Amino acid sequence: MLEIFKNGSKLLGMNARNLDYIRPYNRKRAKRLADDKILSKRMLRKAGIPVPKLLAKIKTVDELENFDWFSLPNTFALKPNRGFGGGGIMVVYGKKKTFKCVSPDGTEIVPDPVWIKSDGSKVTVSDLKSHIRNILDGAFSLANIPDVAFFEERLTLLKLFKPYAYKGIPDIRVIVFNRIPVMAMLRLPTKESGGKANLQQGGIGVGIDLATGVTTTAVLGKGKIIDYVPGTRMLLSGIRIPYWKDILLLAVKAQEISGMGYLGADVAIDRERGPVFLEINARPGLAIQVANLSGLRERLERIKGLKIKTAARGVRVGRDLFGGEIEEELEEISGRKVIGTIEKIKLMGIKGRTVELEAKIDTGAGFTSIDIDLAQQLGFEDTVAEYQKIETTYKDIRHLSKKERWDIYKHIPHLESMVVVNSASGSTYRPTIKITVIMDDVVIPTKVTLINRAHLKYPIIIGKRNLKKFLIDVNK
Amino acid sequence: MQNISPVIKYFIEQGVPLDTVILLLMLPIVVTLIAFFRQVIGIKAFGIYTPAIVTFAFLAVPQLRYGVLIFIVVILVGMIMRYALKGLRILYLPRVAITLSIIAFSILVLLGAGGAMHRTGLAAVSIFPILIMITIVEKFVAAQIETGNRAALVLAIETLVISLFGYYLASWPLLIGGIVAFPWLILITIPINIFLGKWDGLRLNEYIRFREVLKNLK
Repeated sequence: MLEIFKNGSKLLGMNARNLDYIRPYNRKRAKRLADDKILSKRMLRKAGIPVPKLLAKIKTVDELENFDWFSLPNTFALKPNRGFGGGGIMVVYGKKKTFKCVSPDGTEIVPDPVWIKSDGSKVTVSDLKSHIRNILDGAFSLANIPDVAFFEERLTLLKLFKPYAYKGIPDIRVIVFNRIPVMAMLRLPTKESGGKANLQQGGIGVGIDLATGVTTTAVLGKGKIIDYVPGTRMLLSGIRIPYWKDILLLAVKAQEISGMGYLGADVAIDRERGPVFLEINARPGLAIQVANLSGLRERLERIKGLKIKTAARGVRVGRDLFGGEIEEELEEISGRKVIGTIEKIKLMGIKGRTVELEAKIDTGAGFTSIDIDLAQQLGFEDTVAEYQKIETTYKDIRHLSKKERWDIYKHIPHLESMVVVNSASGSTYRPTIKITVIMDDVVIPTKVTLINRAHLKYPIIIGKRNLKKFLIDVNK
Repeated sequence: MQNISPVIKYFIEQGVPLDTVILLLMLPIVVTLIAFFRQVIGIKAFGIYTPAIVTFAFLAVPQLRYGVLIFIVVILVGMIMRYALKGLRILYLPRVAITLSIIAFSILVLLGAGGAMHRTGLAAVSIFPILIMITIVEKFVAAQIETGNRAALVLAIETLVISLFGYYLASWPLLIGGIVAFPWLILITIPINIFLGKWDGLRLNEYIRFREVLKNLK
């Protein structure tokens, strides 16, 4: 019981967040800037940080009545300028086809455009008008103060995120304190959240290891731990976020510009533009701790008062202090990749054939060996067929000279050489062929031996000759 | 009551009713209770004003259950009206105005029905607590728009719970007796609130919210 209360002091609660971090580190002026999305967007853009394009803004009912609805693109996001927690955001994904009508007296009537929301429902101009009127009235702003509505470019979804995100664009929330990224999570929109990535609205938060940018554990809504995207078999851990370092750098730079000491930075990844900064948040939520299964307060206490001169330095400190694994560092130091004993690889044979499969890493073997069946799949049917016609064993021909032996086999198509392989089950004389192995993004053109591995679990073992660029971690 | 502090006696001599004095002195205690619920336990409710005023509305009805009944009816009608008015697409203030009107009618029907069923206690509820309860619907509608129906309902239930605690605390004879005898005791609420205002530990409900994280920390 006492243990629980002791551990409780490592977590950041609502009280401590407001009293110890937001109050002393976020000045009122800076907070007002963060709450004003249009203004903060302009500030960020001026400082060279990529932000989504502002399409139009509507400040008064007059502007609303005179707004040219045809100027809007097929897809956009409509947001309240001072909204919070993702409230009041409307996103449309496409325009419905509308047709010109010609009335009997010959005048053409162009109907107002109609858009479509994530759930397939229609959004008419009068829907937009009523929503914007609510925004102007302050229905979504803190303390209900009158607000401004704006239209923003909708980013395009990165292919990597497609199977994980329901309709909307996932984004990455980074908590930055004292120029150091402290904790991060990937936020995925779900059906319940209506295409918005906010956890308050029912999105998924996935913790991210700060050092590597690889996702760890996931939380649905405000507190339910999950492994898969609900209703699918898409595993949420192990996703490697691209542009990881750039994302952290953007977050820290935004903190410098905002003038706030403690903030949540939201960064999305656009398919064409790469990392795009979405918004700064003066009161970032606490659910990020559940997504990462670790406490914020403990981390914040550790870096209080550190003097960090540049954003790049802050990013490095954050990754070193709060990153879980040292794997990448090891890779950076040795210049070699760390792999496990079983690795996913891709093989490229001839005739444009490729096969993806799992391979066993075998430091006891010299050559890489592949199963005969696999060789056939890689386009070496003729090689295998010709080879199997020759019925000799190594015993029969070991007395012959190397050249004499080669003469027996040299007519076989695509044959590279014949080699003697000494293994636990005795010496064998094996044919070799040339293929390309791609492992952990490293391309290795190589000679591999053919052998019947039908009775073994893995149709391919990777031998020492091809492991020079790797370090093997048996725990992986 | 035997022990009446001279200060209280002075007020009574000036024509201030004893009930009013007690209620005014109870206010610091009730609001401190609400602050405690928010900062230490983590029960939010609709801010501090709403649970406090509902507490006093409960104190003003002849029987608590009628107060609770009116509260529940107000929230229920507020919820129904949200769906009923959804299709109309009208602005915030007119929408709240219609909701308030319908609630006023509903309460009238409720009082009439109570009278018809010979529940005279219900019909005898004075207008002051009824009006208070009706006005909380604005808070409720605002919460519905900002955080959704479910969250608004949770806030309403939390308000009810805190108000009930407040009610029992403020009608506790021992406490009333204590205040009448030693009105200065009320000043203790100020250091208590300073402490609450500096309390940066986890709230009780956060221990539940972060239970998975707590399990993982070593």
